[in-house]
Amino acid sequence: MSATSTTDGTIAQAVASGELPGRVWLYSNYNCNLACSYCLTESSPHSERRMLTPELMRTVATEAAALGFSDLGVTGGEPFLLPWLTETVAEMSRSLPVVVNTNGTLFGGDRLDRVAVLAESQVALQISLDSHLPEVNDAARGEDNFRKVIEAVPRLVEFGVEVRIATTTSGPLDDVALDPLRELVASLGVTADHHVVRPIVRRGRADDLGIGLQAGARDIPSELTITADGAFWGSFAPTVQNDVLDIDLLLTRTVLPLSIPAGVLLALLRADPSGPGSSLGIRCA
Amino acid sequence: MTRLRLLDSRTAPLSGQAYFADGDPGPIVAALAQVPELLGPTAAFLSAALGPGAASTRHKEIAILRTSWLQGCRYCTEAHSVVALDSGLTAEEVRALRADEPLAAGFTDPAERSLIEWIDTMARSGPVPSHLWASTRAFWPEHLLVELSVTIGATIFLNRFATCFELPSAPAVVERLAAEGWS
Repeated sequence: MSATSTTDGTIAQAVASGELPGRVWLYSNYNCNLACSYCLTESSPHSERRMLTPELMRTVATEAAALGFSDLGVTGGEPFLLPWLTETVAEMSRSLPVVVNTNGTLFGGDRLDRVAVLAESQVALQISLDSHLPEVNDAARGEDNFRKVIEAVPRLVEFGVEVRIATTTSGPLDDVALDPLRELVASLGVTADHHVVRPIVRRGRADDLGIGLQAGARDIPSELTITADGAFWGSFAPTVQNDVLDIDLLLTRTVLPLSIPAGVLLALLRADPSGPGSSLGIRCA
Repeated sequence: MTRLRLLDSRTAPLSGQAYFADGDPGPIVAALAQVPELLGPTAAFLSAALGPGAASTRHKEIAILRTSWLQGCRYCTEAHSVVALDSGLTAEEVRALRADEPLAAGFTDPAERSLIEWIDTMARSGPVPSHLWASTRAFWPEHLLVELSVTIGATIFLNRFATCFELPSAPAVVERLAAEGWS
């Protein structure tokens, strides 16, 4: 698969036309302080870190902006386990808006004050919360997770940090059973348009449990995703199962210059003119 | 048993899927697929270097098998012993290239003897003395020596690749060799 020429405005045009999704994801690290039951990457405190360096993350941000991408996402693992994450995403946001996926459990004490500086940048925090019932939420995400999240969110909102909530569910996305959660989210100061509800994808640990939706490449948003192991088709692609990285949705091991993986992704999209056709509702942000 | 994770049609990257469409492409492709940006160019190069060309299939197989044996590559020697037989080389010729018998027992044609001397020199050390250049050129035009030397060089690359990762021989190859009396 040869890369399409990408230094001549091709990527910018493809993003502008909707042919290529505008967001570039970065897996900052794979380790996490939690070990959620449906985690796509089998992340846990014992996971190999497989970290991107702050220098590489800044370079991706700069090159993404130059190529014509529209925004950035940072995910993991738990990105805020990295002590330099706040400063790095703040810098990245000078190039493009950034959303950071986080479990929201590390924002106590000094950490909250440090994260508060993000209120002055184009950085949004997307925090996971799966149920309005603490016991249900914590059964999947870990003990005391619910309390930490509902304490952190209002304080972040108060600081002026943009907060979004991401809910991952095994049920229908429009299930009325989620209404109490929607009300809870609103009460935390997060508007409905900043509440993402998406299905569990059957990859990684979810596949071990036999839960979630079977998803092929076209069911997953084809948002260019950069990891320590290469560039992937989307943020649901670089999953881990039985400690082995899935590379079925690997684009290329080459991540910089970013025009290379961007060109490979665009070429693959153009090779399949059927285009995105999924109605599964899988989205990362 | 290989020390490397060999991919299949289920685990291979999107951009390498075409290589798995017709079934198992063999361990070299299954290994290269881990780096999809290398797979296409490398497979194309190997196909050009080892596949049909101006040089005959017989002479290419002589180059591949002899080089693989000299390099001590179990995988390539086994695989190309079978390919050589299927390409029309006799069992005596294959045994001679693998040094199971004296070279003279399998090869009497002076052109082929000069080619084998060229292969031995290139695969063992590289520098070709003037007298060998002169004697080989007496039988082989320059373009065929270029082509066959690319075949030898590509084979050396494959020999090192297959050996360091301990790529496994296909069961059919092992069975065929056993049937021919090579274990």
